[in-house]
Amino acid sequence: MITLTNLSKIFRTELIETHALREVNLQVEEGEFAALTGPSGSGKSTLLNILGTLESFDSGDYLLDGKSINGLSDSALSKLRNEKIGFIFQGFNLIKDYSIFDNIELPLRYRGLKPAERKQRIEHALELVGLHARRHYFPSQLSGGQQQRVAIARAIAGKPRILLADEPTGNLDSLMARQVMELLEQINQQGCTILMVTHDPDQARRAGRNIQIIDGQLHDSTLYEPLSAQSA
Amino acid sequence: MEQFIYYLKVSFKGIKRAPLPYALTIFILSVGLGVFFANATFYYQLNRDPLPHKSDKLFFPMLNLVPYECSTDCKTPSVLSYNNVEKLSQTDIPTQAAAMYSADGYLRQSTEQAPLPVSIRITQRDFFSLFDVPVLHGSIWPDNSARHEVILTKSSAEKLFGRTNVIGEKLLLDDRNVTVAAVLDTWQMLPRLYDANNQNHLSDTDDIYLPLETGYDMNYLSNTQSQTFDDTDYRQLSTQGRTGALHQLQYWVQLDTPAQQQRYWQFMANLVQDEKAAGRHPSAPNNQLVAMRNIVSYFGGESSDIKAFALVTLLFLLVCLFNASHLSLNRYLSNQYEFSLRRALGASRSQLQLQMLADVLLMAIFTIIGALITGFAGIKLMNQLLPANSLFSNWDLPLLLSLLVIAFVCSYLVTLYPSLRASFGTLNQQLKE
Repeated sequence: MITLTNLSKIFRTELIETHALREVNLQVEEGEFAALTGPSGSGKSTLLNILGTLESFDSGDYLLDGKSINGLSDSALSKLRNEKIGFIFQGFNLIKDYSIFDNIELPLRYRGLKPAERKQRIEHALELVGLHARRHYFPSQLSGGQQQRVAIARAIAGKPRILLADEPTGNLDSLMARQVMELLEQINQQGCTILMVTHDPDQARRAGRNIQIIDGQLHDSTLYEPLSAQSA
Repeated sequence: MEQFIYYLKVSFKGIKRAPLPYALTIFILSVGLGVFFANATFYYQLNRDPLPHKSDKLFFPMLNLVPYECSTDCKTPSVLSYNNVEKLSQTDIPTQAAAMYSADGYLRQSTEQAPLPVSIRITQRDFFSLFDVPVLHGSIWPDNSARHEVILTKSSAEKLFGRTNVIGEKLLLDDRNVTVAAVLDTWQMLPRLYDANNQNHLSDTDDIYLPLETGYDMNYLSNTQSQTFDDTDYRQLSTQGRTGALHQLQYWVQLDTPAQQQRYWQFMANLVQDEKAAGRHPSAPNNQLVAMRNIVSYFGGESSDIKAFALVTLLFLLVCLFNASHLSLNRYLSNQYEFSLRRALGASRSQLQLQMLADVLLMAIFTIIGALITGFAGIKLMNQLLPANSLFSNWDLPLLLSLLVIAFVCSYLVTLYPSLRASFGTLNQQLKE
């Protein structure tokens, strides 16, 4: 589904060049739940942003569903983000003066869906994250965990094939973090490919695969037995 | 449409988030545009062409036909003597022609009534067709002969009789009997270019119209411009005014084609040659034939005050635009996170530009309202400061439409750069900020 070939990314300032990613090669299959781990500054988030087309890369190739995203126009990239990719950010990134419903509606608006279909998708996503009753609330009226669940609902309302999560539990306490992880596992079980940046080894273990990045290089790509299978 | 309404809602949300900077932006734009628009109103009205379909066909002929040889200021007089006009009238080259001047008088229905001061245009029958004057009741004089018949404007008829259909009614013009031959429909030629030679073109139209021959018979002297080049007793206009060198007549001719104009020009040249040969033209020939379109600039009647104001207010508008743009940039940059989030979630730049158009539309609406209020106040103030120009403070449809366009363009300019700045940039970095 995702194929990266010799992908490199350099951040340049007037004085310094930083090699964020060095000739990364990666293959992610459909339905995988992969954790991106590594020390701070190793390039995890950069890789996730490149996968989400939020950031460009300097060399190499990125194939999504067998098609290179190199040279795609802004509108093509926007369409791709809108239809195929869902984002979950560490800071939730909800618009404060929009209701929960309006926040989730945001990506659907740009897809040109009819109001009835938007409503149906939003309500389905809200039911999945357990916040249907609070759809008219504003983000400030919700706890951190609930806000992240809203962000997840926004990410999955568009029925994306890939979900990119950048430290989705980074701002949550352990209980809330567990709930969010359970939700992500549930979404993954429905067939959605998930790539998640995390510092938490337990969460990395819960994902089916751990992709470790150190100094911009892919060091290890460990396949774990899922926790559910271990406990069985 | 549903999406555009959504964009408008988003714009309103943006305004609610920071109402003060937004209000300040609108205020600055409104003041700049309003002041500019107030001045533009006068500039446009003062410089407009009241007869665009024929202003290049109406001409003001002038001859240097005076009994003295000019030595210092050899400018051709802008007014003609009765005698000159007679000579110019001897040709049938012009489609229409009329001599005219204005005088003051008093009008009343009977000696028991208090006299009403009136401005009289003393002219010939072609005046009304030359300048497209509409007639409401009655008919214009059939020829240019003397007759004690006046033509009233609609407002004069209403003022005197309280009605407009007053054909055949008797009046006393300076206590001499006259009959009403016609009543004009509402008519205001602004500026009155036929009176531009004495720079009286910015004043109101005259109240009544009297035949030229009758005006001379009644000894009416011009109240604006008259020059004597001999010993004519101007008080005896009816007897000596027609033969002496008392110059007080404006003369307008309609020459529809270039060929007609050329022929008339040649006619004037021949006339002057004949007069020289007869010893009646001591000065060097200096004939002029000025088109109505150029009459104001020919006589230097352009209002330099308004021109200077126009420049100042344009500069003021530019300063306002710059300031409003700066405020707008701050507002957009503070919203950059939301722009980036929308892009990350799949909005294309073109969709964000549509969002910007909704912002522009809202800003234009508010700005137009503000500019209209400021412009109206500005016009009231200008009318106080320059009451002579108050006739030129009206807004018409083209003027209002141009305000709408300018307000929209200004709103677009104020929004364009900031929104482009906000919609370009590194998504990832902006989302982290």
